[in-house]
Amino acid sequence: MFKTLKAALLAAACVPAMAAAQDLDTMSAAELYEQAKVEKTVTVFSLSSRIARVEKAFEEAYPGVDLVGVDLSSAKQIARVVAEQQAGVHAVDVLYIADAPVVLRDLLAPGRIQTYVPPRLADQLDAQFKSPLLVHRLSTKVLMYNEQAHPDGSPITNLWQLTLPEWSGRVMMVDPTQRGELLDLLTEIALHPDEMAAAYKAQFGSDIAVDSDLNGAGEQFIRNLFLNDLVLVANSDDLNKAVGTKDAKNPPVAFGTYSDRRDNEEEGWALQVANNVEPANGILFPAVLAVADKAPSPAAARLVIDFMFGDDSPDGGPAFAPFNVPGDYATRKTIADDPDSVPLEQLKAWTINTEAVAEHRARIADLIITLQ
Amino acid sequence: MSPSDTAAPFRRRRLTAARLVPLSMILIVGLLVLAPLLRILLATLTPPGLEAWTAILASPMSPNLWWRPLMNTLILGLGVSAGCLLLGGFTAWLVVMTDVPGRRILGVMHTLPFMIPSFAAALAWGTLFRNSRMGGSSGFFEANGFIVPDWLAWGIVPVLIVLIAHYYSLAFTIIAAALSSVGADLVEAAQMTGARRPRIFFGIVLPVVTPALVSAASLTLAGAVANFAAPALLGLPVRMQTLSTRLFGMIEIGQAERGFVLALLLIAVSGVFLFLSDRLVSGRRAFVTVTGKGGRTRRFPLGRWRWPLFAAGFGLAVVTTVVPVVVLVASSLAPQAGALFSNWTLHFWIGEGGGQIAQGTAGIFRNPVLIAALFNTLKLGVVVALISMLLGLALAHTITRNKGTVLANILSQLAFLPLLIPSIAFAAAYIALFGAPLGPLPSLYGTFTLLVIAAAAHNLPYAVQAGRSVLGQIATDLEESARLTGAGPLRRMWAIIFPLAIRGLLAGAILVFVKMVRDLSLVVLLFSATSPVLSMVAYRYAAEGFMQFANAITVLILVICLAASLIAQALQTRVQKWKE
Repeated sequence: MFKTLKAALLAAACVPAMAAAQDLDTMSAAELYEQAKVEKTVTVFSLSSRIARVEKAFEEAYPGVDLVGVDLSSAKQIARVVAEQQAGVHAVDVLYIADAPVVLRDLLAPGRIQTYVPPRLADQLDAQFKSPLLVHRLSTKVLMYNEQAHPDGSPITNLWQLTLPEWSGRVMMVDPTQRGELLDLLTEIALHPDEMAAAYKAQFGSDIAVDSDLNGAGEQFIRNLFLNDLVLVANSDDLNKAVGTKDAKNPPVAFGTYSDRRDNEEEGWALQVANNVEPANGILFPAVLAVADKAPSPAAARLVIDFMFGDDSPDGGPAFAPFNVPGDYATRKTIADDPDSVPLEQLKAWTINTEAVAEHRARIADLIITLQ
Repeated sequence: MSPSDTAAPFRRRRLTAARLVPLSMILIVGLLVLAPLLRILLATLTPPGLEAWTAILASPMSPNLWWRPLMNTLILGLGVSAGCLLLGGFTAWLVVMTDVPGRRILGVMHTLPFMIPSFAAALAWGTLFRNSRMGGSSGFFEANGFIVPDWLAWGIVPVLIVLIAHYYSLAFTIIAAALSSVGADLVEAAQMTGARRPRIFFGIVLPVVTPALVSAASLTLAGAVANFAAPALLGLPVRMQTLSTRLFGMIEIGQAERGFVLALLLIAVSGVFLFLSDRLVSGRRAFVTVTGKGGRTRRFPLGRWRWPLFAAGFGLAVVTTVVPVVVLVASSLAPQAGALFSNWTLHFWIGEGGGQIAQGTAGIFRNPVLIAALFNTLKLGVVVALISMLLGLALAHTITRNKGTVLANILSQLAFLPLLIPSIAFAAAYIALFGAPLGPLPSLYGTFTLLVIAAAAHNLPYAVQAGRSVLGQIATDLEESARLTGAGPLRRMWAIIFPLAIRGLLAGAILVFVKMVRDLSLVVLLFSATSPVLSMVAYRYAAEGFMQFANAITVLILVICLAASLIAQALQTRVQKWKE
């Protein structure tokens, strides 16, 4: 009884708040800053510890607004926001988060977060990066190989080669039942049955026969990959060492992160992306920026999101600098890709379809569990 | 169970008064432990939750989601706890009861492995034994021409060894605390009546320390089944999953309900073992050894076995302590993770930023938040250790003094659960419980207080078990005589129980402190202050791929833990002056 009353009161209180939020959505950064100065602090949950550098740059650009950055993995951000909002606590303003399929289901659908697109960026982002979620940049899970052991380029030119006996026990990935991005990778592969079937034909010359309990060539690939003694590891450190170590004899290949190549020199690795792979070498997946529901500092929250997309210069300026990493890709068109990396349009990776992946992810997870 | 039905009126009153304490204890523990558990249970009774039960227990996935992980978990739990009892018992006996040379240094060394995070031991194993299954980077043995088979490099065998090497020191700490209270008078009496050494051992020493053995077995079992790092690092390459890796994975990929179901099943399975071990203690005759008299410890002369046994104890310490520590220290000094012993630099500790190394990141001692983090970590560790020991002592006292009653049984089972509740679920429950104002309490969301409450509850098992193993030995006659002279319960606690139990309590406090200083997951979920704790700073470095900095901080944490345990030892000798 008391609860319904409270809910009704809250709903009533929300009406003007919503109107105000709409105003906020159309305000310029300068107008947001005026309100943000009154709000004083803004709390950001971030999947990346680079938030510390954003904090510094933000507070220099907007004195008087204190950015509180908290490093939290995506799974923990979701757990914490859900628990907090269920307890009626609204303490966080901005989420910088990956695991988009889970974000879609557990945060956006129940209204725990909302998508805010800064007005100045509306025509600088592709439609798929503005809705349902605002995408800040794209990271990769793509096939990586050892360029010292294979000076003539990638030993793999077709994903189906990974299921051949000669690659048995020599393909690695971080366990997809432990890390969402790898599950997203396999789900995205399953969502391209036609391309996978065509690639099969290109590799083996015959049409693929899909097991009766599976849907399409993508799922068949997942099964064959696991049956070919796919090696699972706990973290990407192990993976990079295994694939990239220089002077290694017969090193394996792995689905890893393209931007880890930047550590090659320092770590003594020879990691390189296998780009010329049929039908694709992996996925691009989004890092998302969103405003939390009933954010205590709604104006400052929007200001932070606006800020993190950087200025109009080709490298995005100091605000985007922490994220300008070779092998990661800005969604904002004015920001140029790193000259030493494969340009985004030439990278043969599928950009994940967040909604479709969200829908099929659990089924693929079940398939993988039976294969382990 | 209602003895009051048959009791005389005056007795009934006394019983009610005596029951007040256990009842209030149940209330506290219920709030702190049962509430999060109920929340998890409720989450699994929703439609997706019920689907998760079916998926895990009755679907084509069951073998891989439940049965095989269960089997691996049981092998690990039982194997680790047996191994820990053997090694921990042996080393505790060696250090406390014999005249082995270098006892002090051995005593310190054997407490160390628990302070080294288990992932360090797993890394050390990998550095030595990694084989070609892990591609280009071969381990020490394979690089030197030995062939390391898969079963020795990956899977259940290395996980068992690594976990025993990690947890035996937990058993050592608890058993050593109990052994030190086996009075010389008992042993001397037996010697005077002509008992041989084996008879003294099996007839006196062993029965007296049984509660400690059971505590140690339970804690190491729970630790082993809940451990994530070792099975993940060493098990996954051969697709070995345990319930804890499955549980973590399911929560991580957004299938929290399945994770919660696995957590409940894990709690149920461990509960069966803990219940059985509890039976073992309650069923046996009670031995009280800490009386008002004596208190000296009698040491057995080892004769010609002194040096061989010293070598065994020292060798064990070297393997379990020195090797992982050396690997950790080396990995905080080596610029390349692949070449641990070349090009050492102090850059990661004290280097100035801006150079070529580590993308210009400065050494940890130049990180401005480090000092604040250090202070926060110490504050958190000390406060949580104190509070959980107070709570643990009260609980342990209630349990031992009401031994055999239903109340005591419920309490002792409840007090054990927190070890097995995944911290992500624990934290979510605490945010739900204390996020909104609770009665007269204001909202504790994001405060240090909430973190302390949750952490104290989370670490309760260590405190209670440590307290129980010592309290079980303290004779009631001391308390009775104090009661007769009119001393109140608090006074009795302070003047009698506390000094007598100090060793066990400090042992427990150190365990809690160590756990807390190393713990990350609970802290990041519950605490939103800008000034972090050390484990969060280490996580930041690790997340950026700067493992050397993260390892440097782990070494720093290790040093703090070591200092804390030395301080505790000094404190204990000051309180128990009569032992000198």
